[in-house]
Order: sequence, then structure tokens, then C-alpha cells
Amino acid sequence: MRVRDGKGPLTGYGGRSAEIMIEADQISKDFGTVRALKSVSIAVPKGTVLALLGHNGSGKTTLVNILTTALPPSSGQARIAGFNVSKQPREVRKRIGLTGQFASVDGQLTGRSNLILIARLLGADRRAARDRADTLLELFGLQDVAPRRAATYSGGLRRRLDLAMSLVGHPEVIFLDEPTAGLDPASRIELWKLVQSLVAEGTTVLLTTQILDEADRLADSIAVLSAGVVVASGTPAELKARAGQRTVTVTLTTIEQTSAAMVVLAHAGLEPELDRKRNAIVMPIRATEKVASVVTLLDRAGIEVHELTFGHPSLDDVYLAIAAQPTGQAAHVNGGSAVPPGVRRQGGAHERASQPGGPQPAGRLQRRRPGADMARQLGAHPGNGAHPAGGA
Amino acid sequence: MLTQVTVLTRRAVLDYLSDPRQVVTGLVQPVIWLFLLTSLFSKFGRPPGFPPGVSYFDYVLPAVLVNNALQASQQTGTGLIEELRNGIVPRLRSLPVLPSSLLTARSIAGLLRTAVQSLIMIALAQLTHGNLSRGGLAGLTVSLGLTLLIGWSLGWVFLAVSAWIRRTDTVQNLSFMMLFILTFASSAYVPVRDLPTVLRVVATGNPLTYAINATRTILLHTPGGTGAIGPAILISLVIGAAGTFAAVLLFRRPLEMTRR
Repeated sequence: MRVRDGKGPLTGYGGRSAEIMIEADQISKDFGTVRALKSVSIAVPKGTVLALLGHNGSGKTTLVNILTTALPPSSGQARIAGFNVSKQPREVRKRIGLTGQFASVDGQLTGRSNLILIARLLGADRRAARDRADTLLELFGLQDVAPRRAATYSGGLRRRLDLAMSLVGHPEVIFLDEPTAGLDPASRIELWKLVQSLVAEGTTVLLTTQILDEADRLADSIAVLSAGVVVASGTPAELKARAGQRTVTVTLTTIEQTSAAMVVLAHAGLEPELDRKRNAIVMPIRATEKVASVVTLLDRAGIEVHELTFGHPSLDDVYLAIAAQPTGQAAHVNGGSAVPPGVRRQGGAHERASQPGGPQPAGRLQRRRPGADMARQLGAHPGNGAHPAGGA
Repeated sequence: MLTQVTVLTRRAVLDYLSDPRQVVTGLVQPVIWLFLLTSLFSKFGRPPGFPPGVSYFDYVLPAVLVNNALQASQQTGTGLIEELRNGIVPRLRSLPVLPSSLLTARSIAGLLRTAVQSLIMIALAQLTHGNLSRGGLAGLTVSLGLTLLIGWSLGWVFLAVSAWIRRTDTVQNLSFMMLFILTFASSAYVPVRDLPTVLRVVATGNPLTYAINATRTILLHTPGGTGAIGPAILISLVIGAAGTFAAVLLFRRPLEMTRR
């Protein structure tokens, strides 16, 4: 098996000797005169998650189809667990699980029968098939609906059953093609947790998504696909660092205090900008230590801070930055990680909704541009957005 | 492979049985064929040159059996399109399951359905007209076998058509045309020599003519009738082989060509 060198598209892993479970090497795909994929290369080490991020029509599903042997590539090579998708499709199919954009379940069969069917097709005898089905039903909390025809399931249940079906054969590699599209926030978080537990067990996951928050939460690395080309790749933190500088947003209780704070901060050499709508002050921060000085300055001036957020640029910003400049030449900024321990929200009368479950992404996400609400438009869950720094 | 076909066949049969409307229409259809067509065509009286003692009902029964098999095979084909719409197919494609297993399962399920329908028709015919087969039980069995064979072969042709076109309405229109030509430009209802010239030419090239002739000669126990069996089997097998080949090849094409 070939392991990519440091110049591989996944800089986070380049040069590491981890086993590469999903590998696409210069994959192109033409549909007639339409070039759906252009020389796409990816490599996903064992036990990690790669998120393919892109709009509708960017080629995400085509790549998944090629990697899962459903479509032959026009050129290039792809290997799953070392097996060539074109030459050894059967070996590949033995090792993969696929959850497509449309729940791939048989609506005429009950949830349990669906699982038994797959187990039987994978060669389990009746008894083993039933056992496997029951295990998965329990794992996915589907026992209650197991005797019902899948056609009667809600979207969330179908998706859960779908994922359970793709796990019947203990696949080493799982492909999730927009797994949370059309799911309500609770089901989405449920599914994220499932994916995380799978990865913890050593499963390798390729996830396609339009939801930036999803990629941020689940992925070890991200490849941004646009018109069939990987336009950017790296860890979520790397991509966010590429999108631009970090900012601090201070919200104050009264307009008078806001005006006073503007003066204090400007005087101290910062570049505060007033956001009248939110009664907040936004300023770029070039070094992490400066966050503490903002607090100190305001405290000395006797100004009560209602809320303070310090954030990486969100993936929304990454997305827009890359879309704006296909070469991705955003300023590279030092990516400090957490908020200094001294900085806490002061006098917070209004609690913002905190992230409902799931691990917190590295660094708080903050939306700097009002126009960057892409994730929201695309149906991201309500918890996505600005968060209070170091929420109690 | 064998287990997979068995599992998928079972699924196809259960899928069919799970819809009572489908089951009922499937059972009523042969009855309609049997009584509507036979009573309609009986109106024309006995065509000239009939073997003595053979009623029109006796003459038409084998044709009705074969026609029902033809209709059933067309449904096997359109069933595949419904199947392609079912979310399960993309999943099957991502599993180590041969695409031909799914087709084989559908074709076997279709065969089973045709067998049940044929038995119902034979039983009803026996009840209403009595003393059906001059060829005895053996003759009945052989003609049933021939009916199923031609139905199964044509089933693969319709599977191929469906795997190619993948649109229910288009396939249904096309199938309807094929059904009409195959049914009426044949020896089914009128002896070939009594047909108008153009129809006679078509009927001579129509595989159904041979299947019907063979079934008929056995059921009516016409002297020298066994000679028709060989060609009928051969023609069915050739059609079946060509249909299978085309269906497997066409079904392999990516599913994207199906997507709404």
C-alpha cells in the first residue's frame, strides 16, 4: 500500500505511517461533456474522518459513487483498504458501508427484516442474521419500531436504520453521503454521536456535507470540493486559520457604556468597530494575550461587560474566503487555541444556548460577517453560531 | 450466490404478497383472460378446419395460458423499475452481491407467480368445461411446463427492456405494443393459415406461435403434435439466453441513469 508523502492533500496526516484506508489518486470523471471530477486525490488514514465539503453539484456524490464501486472513474485510481475499486470491486464491497443521500432501505420490509436481509446477503445464516439485526436495533434504539414497515418511519428513523444497515457487515470504511440532510437538530446530534463512537472503534469515515459545522465537529481533515476540484484541504483548524484573523466581540449593557468602551479601546491602539444593532464592539486580535488586555482595559474604566466572545473564523468564513479566491490565499494567522483562563463572561444576565451535546469544536466559532450565514441557510442546527467565551 | 438469490427471491415474493391489491389483481387477471377472451372469440363460431370434436374453448385455452404468461413476464419487467426506485438497490450495489442475483430473483419470483396463475386457470377451466386435456395429466404437465418456459424467457426480455429504459410509463407503452403484436399476430385465437397475409407473416416469425402451437397440440392431443415441442423449447431458450445477456449488461449501467 502506498502512503502519501508530506505533499499529500491532507497535510494533517502527510508523512505519517498510518494505514491509508481510503485513497483516491488523480480521479477524474466525465459525464458526456461535463467534467464532474478533475484529478481529485484524497487519502484517509485508518480511524479518522475526512469531510468532503462542497455545494450541490460540486462532485461529492460522484466521488463517493466511484469509491464505493458504483461508478467507474474516467481516469485515475482509487483504493479502499488497499483494494482497487475498479479491479477488485467485490473485495472493496466486503469492507465498506454506505449511507447515501437517500435512505437506502426497503420500505416494504420492516426495520428488522431490512437488517436481516443485509446480514443474509452478506452470508450470515438465519440465526446469526437475526442476532446481528437485534444487536443493531438495540444499538440504534430502533427496537420499538423494528416490527414496523420502514415506509412508515420518519426521516430520522429511516436515516438511523440506513446507517444501521450499512454497519451490518462490520465495515472497516464507512461512506456517509450527506447523512444529516433533512434531519431535525436532535436526530442530527444523535447521528453525530454514532459516527464519533464508530470512529473511536477504529472505523474510517468519509463524510460528505454542505454543513460546515458538521465537518468542523466530526472531521479530522476536510477537503473542500468545488466544481469537481479540491480547492482546499487540511484540518478544520488549518482551514480556519487560512480564512483570516480572529476577533473579539464585546457586548455591553448600555449605549453609554458602549460609547465609553469605544473610546477606551481605540485609545489603547485596538481597532474597535461598532455594531449598533447588537450594541457590540468587534475588533481584530492579532495575539491571544490581547484578549486579556481588552478585559483589563474595560474593567479599569469601570465598564461592565455583558458578554465577550473570542473566536476562530468559522468554516463559513473559510468557505466564503475560498469561494472568493479559488487559490485560497487568505492571510495566515497564528491559531492560538483556547480562551485564556482569566477571560470569562462577566455579569451574563442572558444565557445563550450552549452546544447541545457532542464535543466542542476546537476554539469557539464566531460568525464575523452577518452575510456568512451559509450554514444556517443550509439547515445547520440552531446551536451553530456565536458562543459566549468559556460559557459557565 | 445461491443463498443471495434465494434470499432475494424470498424478498421479491414477500414484497408481492405484502400488497393485497397486487395479489387480488394477479389472481383476477387470469380469470378475465380465460372467460372474457374465450367467450368473446367463441362468438365467431368454430373456424373451418378444426379437428373434430374440438370446441373453440379447447382451442383457445392454451393460447390464453401462454398469453397470461406473457402478461406476467411484462409485469416482471416493470417490477424491476419499481425496484430501481426502491432505495434498497443502491445499497445492494454497495454490497458484494452480483447485480444478476437481483434480476434472477425477480425472474424466479415472476415464474412462481405465473405458475400459480396458470394452475388457477387450468383448475377453473377443468371445473367449467371438464375433461380438459386429451393428453391426460402428462400432457397437462408438459403444456404447463412449456407455458412457464416461454413466460420465463420473455420475462428476461422484459427485464432487459426495463433495465434499458428505466421509466415505468415508457416501458409500459412499449410493452403494451409488444403484447398486442405478440398476442394477436400469432396462432393464439385464429389458426395462422386463416390470418390476413401481413399478420400471417408476423405470426410465422412470432415465437409465441410456436409456444402456443406446442402447448395446443399436447393439450388437444393432436396426432404428431410432439414434433412441435422441440422447436418451442429451442426458441424459448434462445430468447431467454439473449434476454438474460442483455438484461445483465443493461442493468449494470450506473443507477444515476434512473434518478428522477
